[in-house]
Amino acid sequence: MSETTQFRVMDFDCPSCASTVERALSKREGVDEVEVHYSTGRVEIEYDDSVADLATFEQTIENQGYTPQPA
Amino acid sequence: MDTQSVKQYYRKHRKAIIVAVSGLLYASGWTLGYVSAFDTASAAILILAAIVGGYDIAKTAYHEVTSRTLGIKTLVTLAAVGAIAIGSYWEAAAVVFLFALGSYLEGRTMRKTRNALEELLEMTPDTATVRRDGEQKEVPAREVEAGEIVIVKPGEKIPVDGDVVEGESAVNQAPVTGESAPVHKADGDEVYAGTINQEGSLEVRTTGSGTDTTLQRIIQRVEAAQEAQSKTESIIDRFAKYYTPGVIALSIGAYAVTQNAILSLTLLVIGCPGALVIGPPVSIVSAIGNAARNGVLMKGGEHLEQAGKIDLVAFDKTGTLTKGETTVADVEGFGVADDEVLELAAIAEKKSEHHLADAIVAAAQDRPTAAADGGTAAVRADTEPASTDAHSIPDPDDFDVVAGKGVIAHYEVSGEAGGSSDGSDGGWEIVVGNRKLLDERGIDIPDEVAEYVREREDRGETVVHIVRDEAVIGTIAMRDELREAAPGVIDQLQDAGIETVMLTGDNERVAAAVAREAGFTGLQERGGEAATQEVGIDDYRAELLPEDKQDVVEGLREDHTAAMVGDGINDAPSLATADVGIAMGAAGTDTAIETADMALMADDLERIPYAVKLSKATRWNIYENVGLAVLTVTVLLAGVLTSYVTLALGMLVHEASVLAVIANGMRLLRH
Repeated sequence: MSETTQFRVMDFDCPSCASTVERALSKREGVDEVEVHYSTGRVEIEYDDSVADLATFEQTIENQGYTPQPA
Repeated sequence: MDTQSVKQYYRKHRKAIIVAVSGLLYASGWTLGYVSAFDTASAAILILAAIVGGYDIAKTAYHEVTSRTLGIKTLVTLAAVGAIAIGSYWEAAAVVFLFALGSYLEGRTMRKTRNALEELLEMTPDTATVRRDGEQKEVPAREVEAGEIVIVKPGEKIPVDGDVVEGESAVNQAPVTGESAPVHKADGDEVYAGTINQEGSLEVRTTGSGTDTTLQRIIQRVEAAQEAQSKTESIIDRFAKYYTPGVIALSIGAYAVTQNAILSLTLLVIGCPGALVIGPPVSIVSAIGNAARNGVLMKGGEHLEQAGKIDLVAFDKTGTLTKGETTVADVEGFGVADDEVLELAAIAEKKSEHHLADAIVAAAQDRPTAAADGGTAAVRADTEPASTDAHSIPDPDDFDVVAGKGVIAHYEVSGEAGGSSDGSDGGWEIVVGNRKLLDERGIDIPDEVAEYVREREDRGETVVHIVRDEAVIGTIAMRDELREAAPGVIDQLQDAGIETVMLTGDNERVAAAVAREAGFTGLQERGGEAATQEVGIDDYRAELLPEDKQDVVEGLREDHTAAMVGDGINDAPSLATADVGIAMGAAGTDTAIETADMALMADDLERIPYAVKLSKATRWNIYENVGLAVLTVTVLLAGVLTSYVTLALGMLVHEASVLAVIANGMRLLRH
C-alpha cells in the first residue's frame, strides 16, 4: 500500500543539505517520491509501507546529521 | 542524571555540544602553540578539535560526494584535510570550528524563520465542547463532525469552522484575517477555527474540523508558497550546481600554477556559495510568513518578486473600493406613486442576480405591506398572502437580462386594471435599465427625468429608469458607500509613486463622482466611449462590461507592471490577466485563495499598500543579499590572491556574510 508521511527538520543549515537528505531518502527501498524543502523544513515521503517504514526514514535523516520531528 | 537522560540531552543538543567542545579544544591547542615546548601537544589537540568539529561535516561531505552533489561541506572537508596534510593544524581547526559554529547559528536562526507559522498553528484549540445526545461533551477538536453543534464560551478559541446558530459575540479574527478589530457575529454568521470568542457564548454548527478548516488551508497554502522557488532562486540554484565544481577546478589550477597549497585551500573555503544560495529563500520565507500573519496570502516567491515591481494598481469599484452593499437611496415616481415604481421594478428584477436587482428587491420587500393602498394594483391577487414583516414580490411572467444594461420583463396583471397598450398579451412590459438600454429601444426620456438622473449621478449614485409600456414612470437611485479606508489607501499608493486606476461598469458621471470621492487624482474631462480612450494615469475607466475589464488590464500591462484588485470571483478573469491578481475578502472563498496571486483574507483595503510595500522591501532585500554575497566573494578572492586573506580569516568572513544575509532576510519578519 502506498502511504504518505511528513516530517519536520528544523535544523537544516544550508539548501544543499536539504538536497542531500532528499537524495538519501529517495535511495531507500520502497520510497516512491521524496520532497525536502529547505525553506520550511518539510519532508514529504511517498512510500510502499510493505517495504519501508518510518523508523528507517528517521534513521536516514539522523544519519545525515539532522533531527526529524513528526509533522 | 541517569545514562538515559544524558543520552537524550546529548542527542538534543548534539550540535551545540560539538561546537563547544571543538571550540574549547581549538582555544587550548592555540594557546599551547605559543609555548614552543608543547608544539606536539598543541598539534594533537588542534587535530582533535578538527576531528570533533569536522566529523559530521565530513560525513555529510561523504554523502554529498556519493550522491554526486558537490556541496559546501565537501569544500570545507577538502580544505581541512588539505590543511592537516600540509601541517597547518591551526588553520584546519579554525576552519572546522568556524564552519561548525556558523552552521549551528544558521540552523538556529532558520528554525526561527521556519517557526513563523507555528504561532498560527497553535491558535487552534485541541478540544471542543460539543452537544451530543443532549449532553455537553468535551472531545478532541479534530473529531468533531460536520453538522455537530459546538459550544464556545466567552474567552475561548473557536475549535472548528462553522456557522453561528445561537448567541451573539465579538470575535477576534486576527489569526485568520489579520484584522485587529473584533468582528460582530450573530445567527447565521460564519466563524473560523482559531479565532477568539471575546464576549458572549456561541453555539456553532460545524462545517469543517481538523485539517479541513480555513486556518489549516491557509497554513498549507503559505507553506506551499514558501517552498515554491522564485525565478531568482532557481537561477542561483542552477548557477550553484556549476559553481562548486568550478571552485574546485580553480583551486587545483591555482595550485598547479603557484604551488601554494594554502592559497588553493583558501580558495576552496571562500568559494563556498553560502550567502548566495541562502539569501533569497530566507528573504522570501520571512516575507511570506509576515504577510500570512497580517492576513495576506502570497502564492509564492515568484509572485512576491513580481509584486515588488508593481507600478500601477487597478481597482474594481464595486465591492472593492465600495462596501459592495448597494442600497436604494431614492425612488422617484414621475406621474406614478413612488411605491408603485419600486414594486414594478422589483417584479421585473426578481429573477435577476445582479447586485442592483438585489437592492431593488430588498427595498421593495422592506416596505411595509401596502396591499390596502391603491398604489399597488400591480400585486397579483392570487399570490401567497402578504406576510406582516416581509412583503412578497410576485414573479414576472418572463424576463430577459441585457448584460450591462438592464432587464426587460413581462407581467400580467390579474383581473381588472392594467392591461398593455397593445393588448396582445394582456400584460405589461416593464423595462428597468440605464440610458443605453432606453436609447436602444427608442424610449424617450423626458427632460425632467434626465435632469433628475444627472443630479443623482453627480453624487455617485447609480440610477435606473423604470419603463412601463414604453413610458418612463420613474427612477430608482442606488448607492454603494465607499469604504472608509479607500481615500487613505489611494493616497498612500500614490505617495509611493504607484499609479491607481478605477474600473467600473458604472457610467461616466457616476464613475467620476466616485473616483473624486476616493481621491483618484488627475481626472480628465472626456466624452462617452471612455474604455477606448488612450490610457491615462491616476484615472478611472467607466462603462466597462465585465469582459472589457480584462482588456483594459491587458492594455495597462503594456506600459506597467499592473496589479488588479477585485473580489476573486466576478473579477477572476481580470485578476488572472493582471501581473499580480489581488483578491479581497478571501477568507470564506477557497477559489479566490487558489487563483489569486495574493489574497487578502479580510475586506481590508489597508492591506494593499502594506502588501505592495512588503513586496518591494522583499525585492530589495533579495538584491541586498545577492549583492552582499557577491561583494564578499569578490573582496575575499582579491584578498586571497594578494595573500591578505588566510584560510581562517576567509572562513570567518564567509560565515559572517552568511549570518549577515540571514539576519537581513529576517528583518522582513518584522516589516
